[in-house]
Amino acid sequence: MSDNKPLTAKERMSKPRNEMPLFDAKERILNFNEVPVGFSMEQAQNEASRCIQCKKPECIQGCPVGINIPAFLKLVESGDVAGAAQKIRETNFLPAACGRVCPQDKQCEAVCIVGKKYDPVGIGNLERFVADYEREHNLPRQPKISPSTGKKVAIIGSGPAGLTCAYELRIRGHDVTVFEAFHRGGGVMVYGIPRFRLPLQIIDEDLKFLEEMGVKFVYNMIIGNILTLDELMEDEGFDAVFIGTGAGLPKMLGIPGENLNGVYSANEYLTRIYLMHANEFPDYTTPLFQGKKMGVIGAGNTAMDVMRTGIRLGADVTCYYRRSRDEAPARTEELEHAEQEFINFKWLSSPLEFIGNENNFVTGIKCAVMELSEPDDSGRRRPVPTGEEFIDEVDTVVFSLGCDVNPVIPNATNDLRVNKWGVIMVDETTCHTSKAGVFAGGDAVTGGSTVILAMGQAKNAAKHIHEYLAGRFDYKLDVPTDPEAPGIQWSFAKRKG
Amino acid sequence: MTDRTKKIVKMFASRDTQQLQTALDEIAGLSDLLSTEKMELASGLAALFYREHTDRKDPMNGIMENAEKAMASLGMDVVDIILGHIVEADLEAVEHFARVIGNIESSIDAVLAKLDEHKDGQYAVTNLLLAIESFKDKDAIKAIDKILLFTKSDNPQVKAAAISCIGKTCRAVDTNDISQDLKNKMFDHCFAALSDPKALVRLRVVKALGEMVRYSYLDPDQVNKAHKAFRAILGMDDYEWDVAYIVRNEAEHYLHLCRSGGNNGYKSAANVDGFKQDFRVISKRELCPNTYHFRINAPLIARKIQAGQFIIVRPHPHSERIPLSICGWDRKQGYIEIIIMSAGRTSTESTNKEVGDCFQDIVGPLGQRSHVTKYDGTCVVIGGGYGTGAIIPTARDLKKLGNRVIGIVGARSKNLLIMVDELRDACDEVYTTTNDGSDGIEGFVTHALEKIIEKEKVSTTLSVGPVPMMIAVSKMTQEKGIECWVSLNAIMVDGTGMCGACRVSVDGKTRFACFHGPDFDGHKVDFDQLVKRQRMFVDKEKIALEALKD
Ligand SMILES: Cc1cc2nc3c(=O)[nH]c(=O)nc-3n(C[C@H](O)[C@H](O)[C@H](O)COP(=O)(O)OP(=O)(O)OC[C@H]3O[C@@H](n4cnc5c(N)ncnc54)[C@H](O)[C@@H]3O)c2cc1C
Ligand code: FES
Repeated sequence: MSDNKPLTAKERMSKPRNEMPLFDAKERILNFNEVPVGFSMEQAQNEASRCIQCKKPECIQGCPVGINIPAFLKLVESGDVAGAAQKIRETNFLPAACGRVCPQDKQCEAVCIVGKKYDPVGIGNLERFVADYEREHNLPRQPKISPSTGKKVAIIGSGPAGLTCAYELRIRGHDVTVFEAFHRGGGVMVYGIPRFRLPLQIIDEDLKFLEEMGVKFVYNMIIGNILTLDELMEDEGFDAVFIGTGAGLPKMLGIPGENLNGVYSANEYLTRIYLMHANEFPDYTTPLFQGKKMGVIGAGNTAMDVMRTGIRLGADVTCYYRRSRDEAPARTEELEHAEQEFINFKWLSSPLEFIGNENNFVTGIKCAVMELSEPDDSGRRRPVPTGEEFIDEVDTVVFSLGCDVNPVIPNATNDLRVNKWGVIMVDETTCHTSKAGVFAGGDAVTGGSTVILAMGQAKNAAKHIHEYLAGRFDYKLDVPTDPEAPGIQWSFAKRKG
Repeated sequence: MTDRTKKIVKMFASRDTQQLQTALDEIAGLSDLLSTEKMELASGLAALFYREHTDRKDPMNGIMENAEKAMASLGMDVVDIILGHIVEADLEAVEHFARVIGNIESSIDAVLAKLDEHKDGQYAVTNLLLAIESFKDKDAIKAIDKILLFTKSDNPQVKAAAISCIGKTCRAVDTNDISQDLKNKMFDHCFAALSDPKALVRLRVVKALGEMVRYSYLDPDQVNKAHKAFRAILGMDDYEWDVAYIVRNEAEHYLHLCRSGGNNGYKSAANVDGFKQDFRVISKRELCPNTYHFRINAPLIARKIQAGQFIIVRPHPHSERIPLSICGWDRKQGYIEIIIMSAGRTSTESTNKEVGDCFQDIVGPLGQRSHVTKYDGTCVVIGGGYGTGAIIPTARDLKKLGNRVIGIVGARSKNLLIMVDELRDACDEVYTTTNDGSDGIEGFVTHALEKIIEKEKVSTTLSVGPVPMMIAVSKMTQEKGIECWVSLNAIMVDGTGMCGACRVSVDGKTRFACFHGPDFDGHKVDFDQLVKRQRMFVDKEKIALEALKD
């Protein structure tokens, strides 16, 4: 890069991808520090130079919030990280979190042109690098806030959806108040995603940033109970409401012994640790019964997080999943990290029953051994029992089977339409619900997805809330009435235009 | 019958939609019909309207619409025939006839005359009112006086139909074409029906008022009145909502139309320091050793909390979140009352708070309110320990509904009996029981309950307190076939249904105590599991308590 001759596209692409260095597995399982080391300036510039600045950058479309990726990569390459940070912030205000937890392999990096022949550009790692650089160097973030409009918006929930919506509406000049049920902000980013993947400091700085912009936060407010949506709009004078309450209602296994002591939902286990700091007991007084032999049911991202947490708390962890590794819903990277961290996997094992002792503590798990059938009509191979069974000794079990949507708000609101799984129904174009002036986004309308999709929806909702507040909202709304209608699936094509 | 009408009427018998349409087209082609011919055709068409057509996609629907138009085109000559059908037709057919007559010019007088003729026949009147709904402009205005009379009917069906008719009028007649006096009358009549005991009537009233707001029929005062009514139905001001879901649903639908913007005179929660509550201890009183009664400033929770609901408390930033029952509140002064017995670490840290100290976090109201209704027999509320406070709000609610309420308080010994005077204020009678006989009946709360059952018919019980007490009450009431509510104090974390820590087995199914409860049917609760789950963290609790002492 020292000589001024620009690189050719071929030269750029054919550079090997800079892999993210990780801390050694043996050491990292002894603490809750972050696992990836992070890029150096040199590595970052080198990786950024792999981008060929193609004419039709598909990566931008592959990003649910539409970051101008080639532009920020170019800035990184030239060494202007501050400029790159500003570029990213034009569209994404949680880059440090997204750089860490987004499934880039299914989004921007999946469609990267370079990836057609070589490894795709490491966009996620670079986003993370830029955000960390910005934070470590205390670079000023200067959002342009439009003059006050005098309109008030209530945001319910302070997860990625709520925070994004708050940000987008605040810069448009609205008066924004966020109501959160817990005693701190961040949503699943705090009480779900582990510290070794997303340090608390990052979330706290983003929250502080919003506060400095003039977004008001009120904690300990379970909307639906302490104030209803109608009261918010009627008595408190909010002109619009955004619901970003996530998907907080754990799915149960429905097998004998699920209520034994030591059997947790992933939500309870992770909340006790990451929200309530049970791992720092008794300095923090929330207890956790953490056994030595821990079984985890499920093989999604949440299950990986649970297992990697368990091993850090000194347990011998085994994963039980009724299909095989190929079908595991977790990101490949997460699965690999888990495997590196000495977690045992019992694929094709379907739990039948938890066995307990006379004090109601779990002592064992009984599983059916499965095999995959030939592809059925839907083309999928389903697990079918082989007739064989086995019993493993365990003293802690965590089940991670996903979530349904929490019913608190829908139950307290007559005209908020939900489907039979409790997912809030919205008009796909505008994120408007069946209730006038009320919009929704994030896991509450998808029934569980990712940080970035939640943010993408929230951005879209914010845009339409803005129009709504300006009296320019004249869409013909289509809010599904079919109780079987699925939550909205956010397709990138639909979002464009 | 003339040949040409005979031919057409015959075609009406067909099941084939093509043929039916041809017949209808032929009517349109005849411009010189005699009065008798028109009547013949009308009778033929009428038969069509009685046909069953199964669903909305049925091609017959298009035919029906065209048939309505064809019939209306026959004009005044066929009005009598139509009215004859309207007063008797079945529910589906009548809608067709109603639409037809609304489209025949100057037919309104005939309809009103028919209304006079049949004014005592419930079915005829409701059908005629339905027909009136389809008139527009001046015709519709003519009918209003008559309709208003029927809004006072003793018959709920007629009353509902009349009110619905008024709502429709607002859509059909521009507000500038109708006198203020008449509009006021419409409003007053509808408003008066708001207190009707029948949900159907109230539903129609809400709709009619809503339509009046929508079509600018009302002056600002009237809009305010409607607004207040809708709020009351939704339980927004006095927390006693309309029991009928359909009415609430309708009120919610129209509420936003009334939104006056800006200050509508209701006390806003935001006045409470931008929704922030400080959870300061206002007063503290020792009830018995280790057990304290606290008043805590929490204006937003105090506005909303109901009997049976609870809160989750975190005394310090390092503390766990523990659920606590509520034993009272003052909505105006903005405080809640709780009883805390210091047992483990967190409850001890809570009882260490003094007046002026603040709790770190309090979240609520949580859970469902207690089941209260009017019972035939006596209601018995039973408390032990902190639970004695928790039963007071429910006792008060039961009493408000006109129930006879008896309280029982149990303790080991006289000096441990708490909240007895407060409970006396809320009940008709209170029994105390002590294990050592130092006060009231010697023995357990069940001894008192048995005495009451011997004396009078008991319909329901609610117990809050130690699990053995709730088990004993459940057993006794089951034997005697008495309803039994128990309030379960499971271990909790979030209190909203997010984590599942509070799982309990009720009737073999997993339930979340924080969200489905805390009150459950005591006869169906797996108490054994509850007790064992409560003991999940005993070792840890000991360590935490020791750490506090160091
Ligand atoms: C363990 C785990 C790991 C994950 N890993 C990843 C990952 O690596 N990458 C990724 O992209 N996604 C991941 N996800 C998913 C991602 O976290 C969610 O999709 C995302 O957080 C959804 O955002 P949200 O804003 O819709 O909801 P949430 O983050 O759930 O936030 C909702 C907030 O609303 C609050 N709330 C709920 N009800 C009320 C109410 N009635 N009143 C007031 N407040 C209320 C809640 O307390 C919460 O704070 C993971 C999820 C989990 C559980
Ligand atoms: S306390 Fe978490 S679900 Fe009830």
